[in-house]
Parts: sequence; C-alpha cells; structure tokens
Amino acid sequence: MKLYEYEGKEIFKLVGIPVPRGVVTDKPIKWDGKAVVKSQLLEGGRGKKGLVRVTQDVYNTVLELQKLGVSKFLVEEYIPHDREIYLSCLIDREAVEPIIVASPEGGVDVERAKNIRIFHIPIERGVRDFDVLEIEKYLDVKGLKPIIQGLYRIVTEFEAELAEINPLAVTESGLVALDSKVILEDNALFRHQDLLEKLGRSYEKSDSYVELDGDIGIIGNGAGLTMATMDMVKLMGGNPADFLDIGGGAGSDKVEESIIRLAKNPKVKKIVMNVYCGITRCDEVAQGIIKALEKVKIPIYVRIVGTNEEEGRKLLSQRGISVYEDPITCIGDAVRS
Amino acid sequence: MLVQGITGREGSFHTKQMLDYGTRIVAGVTPGKGGTEVYGIPVYDTVAEALKEHDVDASIIFVPAKFATDAMFEAIDNGISLVVTITEHIPVMDMLRVKRYAKLKGSRIIGPNCPGIIVPEEVNLGIFPPRAFRKGKVGIVSRSGTLTYEIAEIIKRDFGQSTVIGIGGDPIVGTTLDEVVEMFDKDPETEEIVIVGEIGGTMEEKVAKMKKEGKISKKIVAYIAGMTAPKEKRMGHAGAVVYMGMGTFESKIRAFKEAGIPVATTPYDILKLL
Repeated sequence: MKLYEYEGKEIFKLVGIPVPRGVVTDKPIKWDGKAVVKSQLLEGGRGKKGLVRVTQDVYNTVLELQKLGVSKFLVEEYIPHDREIYLSCLIDREAVEPIIVASPEGGVDVERAKNIRIFHIPIERGVRDFDVLEIEKYLDVKGLKPIIQGLYRIVTEFEAELAEINPLAVTESGLVALDSKVILEDNALFRHQDLLEKLGRSYEKSDSYVELDGDIGIIGNGAGLTMATMDMVKLMGGNPADFLDIGGGAGSDKVEESIIRLAKNPKVKKIVMNVYCGITRCDEVAQGIIKALEKVKIPIYVRIVGTNEEEGRKLLSQRGISVYEDPITCIGDAVRS
Repeated sequence: MLVQGITGREGSFHTKQMLDYGTRIVAGVTPGKGGTEVYGIPVYDTVAEALKEHDVDASIIFVPAKFATDAMFEAIDNGISLVVTITEHIPVMDMLRVKRYAKLKGSRIIGPNCPGIIVPEEVNLGIFPPRAFRKGKVGIVSRSGTLTYEIAEIIKRDFGQSTVIGIGGDPIVGTTLDEVVEMFDKDPETEEIVIVGEIGGTMEEKVAKMKKEGKISKKIVAYIAGMTAPKEKRMGHAGAVVYMGMGTFESKIRAFKEAGIPVATTPYDILKLL
C-alpha cells in the first residue's frame, strides 16, 4: 500500500523522525509567511510537474493547484537549509537483510546518483551505534541515530517495503525530513490494523492492476505470462493500455470483474487475454468473458488453453468471440485490428 | 512426502492430483483434524506426530498465508530437509526470518508463492498441470508459475524436461535461481538449462556472473518477462518490482548477453535457442 507523503510523515513522527510543521487540507487556507504547498498524489515527479510550490501566498497557490485537478494538499513551513541528503531502508533480497541506502546527493533521482552506499544491518542485532557512526562519516553529518532507527523500525516493525527520505535537509538546528515515501507491504497489513486506523485507511484488497499509456488492455493468469503477453503486444507493434493478472484459480465472477475493470479505462479500445489454465478452468474463464461482454462493448481476443479447454472454446465460439490456441496469432490479430 | 494443510480446499485437491501422478504421500497434517483421512492418507495434528509413524523426506505446504509461516517453522524444527511452500501472500519479514532459520537448521525451502517441483513421469511435488510435461533432458527453473507451464509445453515435444522447479515470485525465496542452476549443472539427467526470469531483484544477474566466470558448464538459455513494465510498479508478483534501478529488464539482458547466454525475445522463441 503506497502512502501519501503526509501519511508517511505521520509514521515518521511516530518513530521519531523530525518533519516540518504542517497541515493537510483540501481547500485554500490562510498561512502566515513562507510555506511549501505540496500536492498529495501517489505518483512521483511532482516537483518536475510544478505540483510542489514555495509561496508567500498559500491561499491562492492552493486555488491554482486545484484548477490543475489536485484535491489534497500538505502545507508546510518553509525550511531553509544548507544541504540535502538521501536515506532509505528496504530489504536486500540477496542478503536477506534490511539495508540502509545513503547518498550525500539528496533531492535527486537516486538511480542516477553517483555517490551511493549500502549499509547492511542484520535483523538479529538491529541498528547499533557503530552503524550510525559509519553512515554519519560517509554522509558527513551528525545526529542520524533517531532517523536511521526510525527508518529501520518502519521496515522491520511496520513491515514497509520501502521507507525513504529524499531529501533529508541539514539545517542549523538539525535534520528534517522534507519528503517521505513509504510503501507498506500489503501481505502484512493484517498485522497493522492500529496503524491503518491511525492513518484513516482501511485495508483494501489489492489487485495487480497497472495503468499504462497505450490502447490495448492486457489480461492474463499468472504474473509472468501476463507480463510476457504485454511485452509481446509491444514487440508486435501494439501499445498496452493496462495490465491485469487475474491470479490462480479465478472463477467466472473474478474474470468478469477483471474485464470490466480493464474496460473502465477509457483508453482501452480492445483487449488481449492470454490464459493457460492449470488450477483455473477454461470454461469458468469463458463464462466470465461472456458475462463481461454483456456489460462492456469492446472487442476481445482470447487465447485459452489448459484445463477444460474444449468446453471453454465452445462456449466462446458460440457467442462469436475470437478464440485462439496460438498466442502469437491472437496478439497479431488484436494489434492489426 | 508429507502434506501440511492436507484437509483444506487446495491441499486436498492437489493431494489427489499428486497421488494420481505417482507421488508417494504418506501423511498429512492439519491442526485439529488429527485422526481423520484424506484420500486414504492419515492426518495428524502436528508434524512431530506424523513423523512418529512415517518416514518423510519432504513436505509440501498448502496452509493459508496467516499460518504458513508457522507451518514452515514446524517443518524445519522437525528436521524435514525439503519444504515446498505453495502458499502466496506470506509477508516478507516472515520469509526473511524463515529463510535465515532454515539455513541455520539445514533445511531447504522452495517457494513460497510457487508451483513446486516436478520430475516428469516420476513425481509431482506441486500444482503442475501434467499435460505440459514429458520426461526429457532440459531443466527449467522459473520465477513464474503459468509461464513455466507455457514454456514446458513449448519444449515438450522436441526435448521434454528432466526436472522443473518454480522458485516463486516473491521478493525473498527459499531457493534462488543460481542455486537451482548449480544443481542442474551437476545433475546427470539434465543436458541444457532454461531460465525463466522476470524484472526485479538480481538473481538473473548472479547466474550470468557464474556462467561468465566458467562456474556453469552446461548450456543456458533464458527468457525475461517484463520488458515493457514501468519502473516501481508491481507487476503481479510482489518480487516483480524495480526499486532504485536494481534488477531492470535491461540489466538482466545485458548480464546474460555478456555471459553468452542467449535470451529469447518471447517465450515461444525458447525452442529455437535450445
């Protein structure tokens, strides 16, 4: 579950990471002095899109940003600072250990940062003073202990996939997290009801829907096969509009729901569906497709093989829906149509 | 073999499938259901009770996510050397602890969130649909379930498979790609190796490095899913997400090319590369 910046900062406060004084609002407010108005969106790159503004006139800045379609804002005191640093915590899959990622170049795209170091902090011992000292020396800054400990707690206790501060401001009076990026792990949310309540969030059942830029809806069963289908559409000259993995063992309701979900995206002009049934059954998938097509009027190209294949194909052919055994022909026809 | 979670919907269904394939299942475990039977297999409340009555080499887990971590710890504590975990949605911090504990105690975990292991025409320790498999000489190791079936089927007629292992699509997996590739390299039944990878993590890069350094002698061909996936989006699998530029499609392809491992553009091109 991706958190908004202000929600991430709520967690920062909880674990003792200093953040600027601020307020969340959905309408223009009065504010004395210089402030930063930050649009609350889940996508990155807000600064580049002009959705984060330093201003003396909070009221009118919010009005302007509202006109751009933003509905929630974090208004914060402006923090003058000398330097910016990057810090994050996540799990290293190879080492099977939490790591702190640090860079003295904050505020930039960390993927392009030249100066970056990883510090392993094994779960059995947690953050120790010598870890902090090493990171402080690398970053040439003091007072990191509560911040490192806080990020580490967010990952190991609140089970975040990622806890990131970019940038962390170095000011005369100490360190302040100017931004937050926290992604909680969906699979562990059931253990963190208190935290969700505090954030005013409810546990949403997550699905694998991902929005893309093109016009072809991509649906499949299994993450790998669905990704491969998306890649093939692109290779064959098409442009995927979105991605959805119906998962293993999906019944007809789940299939129907998934197709309707794809079709809600106005960019979707046609759908490619690639299914290899194992636990899932082709006839169930076919019934789901037929039910969905009563509600949505978008051409769908279905490649379906595996368990109960013949029953599934028959059902679809009777309704005049294109059915393929070969995925390449299926995708080719969809792209050329 | 032992089936943990044998009385559940998936556990009982796949117990039947595995038995039909010829897998020797001797006992099942479901807390509170001890004393019952599933397809003639006796059910026990705990792994320890099952082991008093039966010799077990491996366990397969169909326990729901909330309890699957306990099931893995229980299997490890009872000295079961191979534990296959089919269950998906196990929290990463749990898997982190399980993996470190398994290493300490000398158990091997396959999965979680995986289809298991199949030796065609011998043993199916997993949820593989039998139609895609035929005894042969190619070892397949894969991070994706359905894509494994798809690729197995593609090479079924011309090559068949020696052993097929789905390692699972989670960020932390009990057994990694490189470990399986090393085993295939030593396995006399395997002549060539197919790797089915995807974006996220750096397991594929590690295999490429081993190949480049001459540590793997058999031929490897690969396919990587997620060429067109946007970064920082989770593409179905929890493990298929690129954070901080680690494990991009490009980095995997580059590593394979440098190691002389041919990479198929689509899963359907694997056949031409073998």
